[in-house]
Amino acid sequence: MLWLCVVLWGAGAQAATAPDFAALAATPRWQALMHVNPGATLRGVGTSYVDDADFFLATDGKADPEAELRATWRALEPAQSQARCRFPARYRFLATTLGWHESAPLAHCEDYLAWRAQMPIGQLVLVFPAAYLNSPSSMFGHTLLRLDAEPDPDAVWLSRAINFGAQAGGADNSLFYIWRGLAGGYPGQFSVTSYVEKIRDYAFVENRDMWEYALDLDAGEIDWVVSHLWELRGINFDYYFFDENCSLRLLELIKVARPQAPLMTELRFAELPVNTVRALYGADLVAERRYRPSKAVELEALAARLDANERALAADLRDDPARVDTPAFKAYPPPRRHLMAQVAYQALRLRNREGDRDPDVARKSLALLRVVQRNPAPPPQPVPEPAPPERGHGTQTVNLGVGRQDGRDFLAFGYRLTYHDLFDPLAGFLPGAAIEGLDVQLRLDERDGLALESLDLVNIRSLAPRSEFVKPISWFVHAGLEQTPVADRARALGGFVQGGPGASWRFGDLFPYVFAVARIESVSGTDPDAALGGGAEAGLAYQAESVQWGLHARWLEFTSQFARLRTGVTANVPVSPDNALRGECSHESWQGEAVAGCSVSFRHFFD
Amino acid sequence: MKKIIIGAALLGSSMTASAVAPGGPGCGWGNLLFEGSSGLPAHLLATIVNGTSGNATFGMTSGTNGCDTSGTLTYSGNSLLAMNGVLEEVAQDMAVGHGEALTALTVAMQIDPADRDHFNSVMHQNFAQIFPRDDVSSGEVMDNINTVMKRDDRLSHYVS
Repeated sequence: MLWLCVVLWGAGAQAATAPDFAALAATPRWQALMHVNPGATLRGVGTSYVDDADFFLATDGKADPEAELRATWRALEPAQSQARCRFPARYRFLATTLGWHESAPLAHCEDYLAWRAQMPIGQLVLVFPAAYLNSPSSMFGHTLLRLDAEPDPDAVWLSRAINFGAQAGGADNSLFYIWRGLAGGYPGQFSVTSYVEKIRDYAFVENRDMWEYALDLDAGEIDWVVSHLWELRGINFDYYFFDENCSLRLLELIKVARPQAPLMTELRFAELPVNTVRALYGADLVAERRYRPSKAVELEALAARLDANERALAADLRDDPARVDTPAFKAYPPPRRHLMAQVAYQALRLRNREGDRDPDVARKSLALLRVVQRNPAPPPQPVPEPAPPERGHGTQTVNLGVGRQDGRDFLAFGYRLTYHDLFDPLAGFLPGAAIEGLDVQLRLDERDGLALESLDLVNIRSLAPRSEFVKPISWFVHAGLEQTPVADRARALGGFVQGGPGASWRFGDLFPYVFAVARIESVSGTDPDAALGGGAEAGLAYQAESVQWGLHARWLEFTSQFARLRTGVTANVPVSPDNALRGECSHESWQGEAVAGCSVSFRHFFD
Repeated sequence: MKKIIIGAALLGSSMTASAVAPGGPGCGWGNLLFEGSSGLPAHLLATIVNGTSGNATFGMTSGTNGCDTSGTLTYSGNSLLAMNGVLEEVAQDMAVGHGEALTALTVAMQIDPADRDHFNSVMHQNFAQIFPRDDVSSGEVMDNINTVMKRDDRLSHYVS
């Protein structure tokens, strides 16, 4: 009897005594399920990132994970609780930590179970669509997750894509959209779509290579992600371009799978997708990497298998498939014909995949496919895989150097927030693409002391090579402050915006280019206080992985009867993945005056 | 297997009963070969905040082509072909003889891995019959694939 009493007393105590909520709420898993900011971004450290009352059962749940845990325990404890259907991952957390043993605790959750049955849990993959051709800003890129039915599936086209993005109304105009995106005016939500749509959007239409990183997570861990994803259905997070963006949100999801993974331990301002990839490697979470070339890269690789005559024939075929009946084409053996027709077909589709259906293009497309089909294919050759983005240099740069200008020595030093110029080490970056943001360069001169040499706010340059098959327009835009030559003095600090369209070509690693240039500048103390100029620039850029060099000449004629010619040469040698040596010389002449100088500097990339 | 039979049955009526397309209104059954991809956030600004227009889908529908796939465990070959942009990839793979789109189609149609190479070569040989015109629709292509498969000893059991 005494024994029975003890047992009853024990049982009563278990029901009446609440769990140690404070300890449970502090566990990494609960913190991850609550999306508590561990200090990864500056706003609201210690509170939840979720900006949606529907996510919380306690009124102060956003700020108090323990209160939310108490409310969750009360709501989820009763069998048949509807709250279990809303929060299946929280249920799993409570059941595993508190030892709840029900045989089918979610059996009444029909909607959840129906959705859950559609979600495969074989493999979770982080997907990084790299920069797209002729749009260097897309280097900042995007990341998403892919959910496969099995590890190493045969057909990833049938997989699911998990995406975090801002929810924009269709009527918003673009400028407003970008501003709200930066300032956090848009709610961001998770969505689940089919992966084939993402392949189409990125690899086919935008022509971005995609990198796929299979994560080393088991089915039990992936199950946490999937059940938690259901809890995030329709839940808003404010979207901030710089910190609370898609990449940060995906890291949070992966933390739900493996809370102890060191993924958000440091401040992650301006989270770039490439750093997300590095964080996953750092946490030992990447099992395998796959490269998915874009349509443009596929075409390039295919065309590289043709000689000059064959390329010219392929370009003719693209414009007029009837030329397959010419003796010139028929003279080639069938496998060569197959290749030429395939290049012609892919070139035609590259230009016409986007936009409304064109009957004439459709007719040509099918005609070319028939030629492809009639002629047996040569053995396939995989597209050569470039260096992956995570092998690229760090996103921030410091530089230190010495130089001499007009007989005076100077010490140069600077810092660049982001990211890559045409002469930085190429590995992991798209050839011909450059984007820089916030680049400050200072000079310490033996006579003038410390002075600002230049401050680039933004400097984007896209050398998109033209070929028989693609005719893109290269472009550049550059804005900031710099020491500007003025008519009657040496140089003075002035603000400027310049840019223009251009053309570039590619011969191996050599990119010749020409640009038209329009420039508006304002130099303090000059008259008139704003000058408008136009001109041209021509140059060469050599981009190999072992060395980068270039030369350029830019001529500008201003409306105020003032002309300038600037020439320069740059060479850069990477000495390790994150360090490089650079030498530069430039000469600038105007109104009979000229300034010439050279410098050598050490560049270090980090973060 | 059953899914394909149902799919094929639905397809039989899809060309005449266009008012209520299988898969729901707005579904891409009528997609023509070489249909352009439009309405994508191809411009820079949309790229920056990675925006999506309208409501976030959550795996219950397949998204932009409007095909309702709720309740289906995997895609059928039919709904895959109906997705915007997929048909021309399948056409190219069949012309070449292999490729990722063709593999996806075989998996969606639940064709045994041991039969995939055979399926690919049969599709390649019958390219002209499967894609008879440049304005063939995804529904017609699915019908043509089934017709070709029915004639083949190793593949006929997948469709009958």
